[in-house]
Amino acid sequence: MSVGAPTVRASRLPDSDRLFGVFTVGATGLLLVTFVLIPLWAILKNSFVTPEGIGLDNFARYFADARFITVVGNTFEVGISVTLTTLVLAYGFAYAIQRTCMPFKGVLRIIALLPVFSPSLVQALGLQFLLGRNGFVNRTFGTEIDIYGFWGIFISDAVYAFPHAFLILSTALAVADARLYESAETLGAGPWRIFRTVTLPGTRYGIASAAFVVFTIVITDFGNPVVIGGNYSVLAVEIYNQVSGQANFAMGAVIGVLLLLPAALAVTGEKWIARRQFASLTSQSVPLVPRPNPARDIAWFAYSVLVALAILSLVAIVIYASFVRLWPYNLSFSLRHYEFDVQNGIQPLWTSISVAIVTALLAIVFVTGAAYANHAFPMRASRILYFLAILPAAVPGMVLGLGYILAFNTPGQPVYLIYDTILIIAVCNVYHYHAQGFLLATTNIKQISSTFDEASATLGATKLRTVWRVTLPMIWPTVLAVGVFFFMRAMVTLSAVIFLITPSTQLAAVSVLYLDDRGALNQAAAFAVCIMATVVAFLVLTQLALRLAGIRGVNLVR
Amino acid sequence: MPLGVSMFLSLRGVTRRFGSVLAVDHVDLDLSEGEFVCFLGPSGCGKTTLLRLVAGLEILDEGEILLEETDLSGLPARKRNFGVVFQSYSLFPNLTVARNIAYGLECRKWAKAKIEARVGEMLDLVHLGQHAEKHPHELSGGMQQRVALARALAPEPSVLLLDEPLSALDAKVRESLRGEISELQRRLGITTIMVTHDQDEAMEMADRIVAMNRGRIEQVGSAEELYWEPATRFVGEFIGRINVLSASELRAGFDGPPGETALAIRPEHVVLSEDGAHSGTVRKVAFLGNTMRLGVEAGGQEIEIEVHGRRRRMNVGDTVTFDLPADRVRRLAVSSR
Ligand SMILES: Nc1ncnc2c1ncn2[C@@H]1O[C@H](COP(=O)(O)OP(=O)(O)O)[C@@H](O)[C@H]1O
Ligand SMILES: [Mg+2]
Repeated sequence: MSVGAPTVRASRLPDSDRLFGVFTVGATGLLLVTFVLIPLWAILKNSFVTPEGIGLDNFARYFADARFITVVGNTFEVGISVTLTTLVLAYGFAYAIQRTCMPFKGVLRIIALLPVFSPSLVQALGLQFLLGRNGFVNRTFGTEIDIYGFWGIFISDAVYAFPHAFLILSTALAVADARLYESAETLGAGPWRIFRTVTLPGTRYGIASAAFVVFTIVITDFGNPVVIGGNYSVLAVEIYNQVSGQANFAMGAVIGVLLLLPAALAVTGEKWIARRQFASLTSQSVPLVPRPNPARDIAWFAYSVLVALAILSLVAIVIYASFVRLWPYNLSFSLRHYEFDVQNGIQPLWTSISVAIVTALLAIVFVTGAAYANHAFPMRASRILYFLAILPAAVPGMVLGLGYILAFNTPGQPVYLIYDTILIIAVCNVYHYHAQGFLLATTNIKQISSTFDEASATLGATKLRTVWRVTLPMIWPTVLAVGVFFFMRAMVTLSAVIFLITPSTQLAAVSVLYLDDRGALNQAAAFAVCIMATVVAFLVLTQLALRLAGIRGVNLVR
Repeated sequence: MPLGVSMFLSLRGVTRRFGSVLAVDHVDLDLSEGEFVCFLGPSGCGKTTLLRLVAGLEILDEGEILLEETDLSGLPARKRNFGVVFQSYSLFPNLTVARNIAYGLECRKWAKAKIEARVGEMLDLVHLGQHAEKHPHELSGGMQQRVALARALAPEPSVLLLDEPLSALDAKVRESLRGEISELQRRLGITTIMVTHDQDEAMEMADRIVAMNRGRIEQVGSAEELYWEPATRFVGEFIGRINVLSASELRAGFDGPPGETALAIRPEHVVLSEDGAHSGTVRKVAFLGNTMRLGVEAGGQEIEIEVHGRRRRMNVGDTVTFDLPADRVRRLAVSSR
């Protein structure tokens, strides 16, 4: 059928929705390029550029030094041994929580998560008090344990990485198909056999995913090795030594690339596994509910208490040491370490809180904004945007921080305007943890049905109005959780920001490091306690505010 | 329909692909103002996609959609002024019933007092006056769908689009809402397209039914036309029941080579008679009150015969004779093209 009547075209004015889409996607892309890609590029450039031109000279010089080869070896030694140990310990703990009927699961769970609330050097600090030269054990039992070196890093990083492994394994163990277990039982399989043939294979993706995550955390950790590594150096510490100690930026960049490679590989592996895991879940499985079994439950309870005590002891001894006159010689109670009469006094704690608040606010706007832009405006550029948004997961903090120095510490370019301010520190935090926040927000935005968007559009609303009136009111708990996550990270992070602080923008976590370095252990402990108290108080207050507002079931810690 | 008469809403060669799937395949359709049209077809035939194309929620690959001679392509859903009701009520959960209904008016920057008056009017229209301040989750499914209807109608849209608005509701609510929607539509005289896979719903409510299959229109017509004069085998089989005659014995006397067209007759048009031209054996008997449905094997195929008001019992194994009245046997195209 062809009617020859001429038709009028509806007007094709620049549509405000399209403008909004181009703007949000463009702004997000620009920020990610500026604060992720350019610093990375600066690292790469500096590692390959030599006075003679572009080449591998810097790398050749690095590997010519036997000490540096040892450092690479050390990093992998710690990475692999801690990964294996943590996996086994955390698997047992997660199993006890998810698959037995032992008591006090709630408390044990919180203890397992404690290391998340403290800077990564607190574990090492606690270990010093416990097993150091003048530590509790050596003084009590007259032993001469030397904890500085491999074992110090091993223990403190195992504790530091524990909650991350626990969370992933706990999720993996939470979903199980009861029918599989029932059929295994009716076929006469014993508990060990069931574990090997059903439980373990059912959680293999979780195990692989946890392994990659722990490995990345351990090889990129800076706080614990710098405090307790002694002469046993790892790559993350070596970057710091080269840059802060000797101002050798080229060598810092080389080490950065060496650290970036395994981290990027591990993160790629983790993403690859995560996609398989998702595909293996079915909706028809019958959830497994553990049945009481006194002997088994008591055995697992004993194990869990032991693990929890180990984690708790490192935190408890830091708190204890902060309240004694002079560890370990005079153990009488004292509040004098909380006077903070050294250096900048208590100022770094306030700076940290300001940075954390700014970080949380920036993250709420830009990280949830990135998740929204990526979801609401599918364009050809979306895949690139998604890649840039999760790329920071593969970038170790020390590498990002060094990248910021190399890229932005040049007068005359725009970002230099905020250099040496708390804003650059907050921005660095936002992009350091961008991937985690972005994925959290994306998951939740995806869960709200697209028909709300469509219904809103057919009623005449612009995308901007839809965001304001419909989307935000539905996802605000997620937005809040993103803010809380970034606040917590900003309070405890050490690695990226250590390159960006100035005397006037000193942070609390860095103060702990400096105090420890000067041997002022009690004061370091007091400062660490202040950080942990701030994080916990912030969580409790937010939760309380939500309660008072009559809102329940918002999970702030993820 | 005569050329030159301008239609209210016209679809011309409307096409939409998803990868290699042709969801909507060169659809031509004209609607006059105030008409109630149903898209009817099995699940996956492209009804929703076609409706979404009209709404502006999907982008046309080919063709054009004209509203009073104006091409709508390039006009986003937001600017079309079409009211849409979705299968899942999609009321905004954070807004009260009244605020939901006011939403479209606020988007159009109506004055406050005018909005308030219109919301009240719409609430009365769907008999939900006393629920204005409730939130959607406090209402039953049927009530939510009435709010959705009120919300879609409040901004005085030029076309109302409904995508299976009743299929999520239970049977009783569905029944009453059918009547309510039809009555509203007639009262407001609004041009309406409703998608459904339920033939009863389409036949009861629509002025015209658009029977769709695999992204194409098979036939457009009133319920009577589609029932009595199905154009294609698909329409005959989808709307009501029909026997397709494949046995050469039964086809005898009707010209035409088999394959290109199908010969078909509805079960109630087959006439049982003592001296019928064909004979067969009863294989199935279903007694349904005032009607009885027989499955009769004749000439190597099974024929369904519906008999009304017959007292005598029939048994499996009985031999019956019947006629296929020539004026009742329809010649159906295998497909519309
Ligand atoms: N967003 C989409 N992406 C890919 N395929 C789609 C999409 N929407 C619909 N389809 C496909 O188009 C065809 C028609 O779908 P739809 O219009 O929903 O049918 P109906 O509403 O008649 O059940 C189906 O084969 C369906 O799988
Ligand atoms: Mg549909």
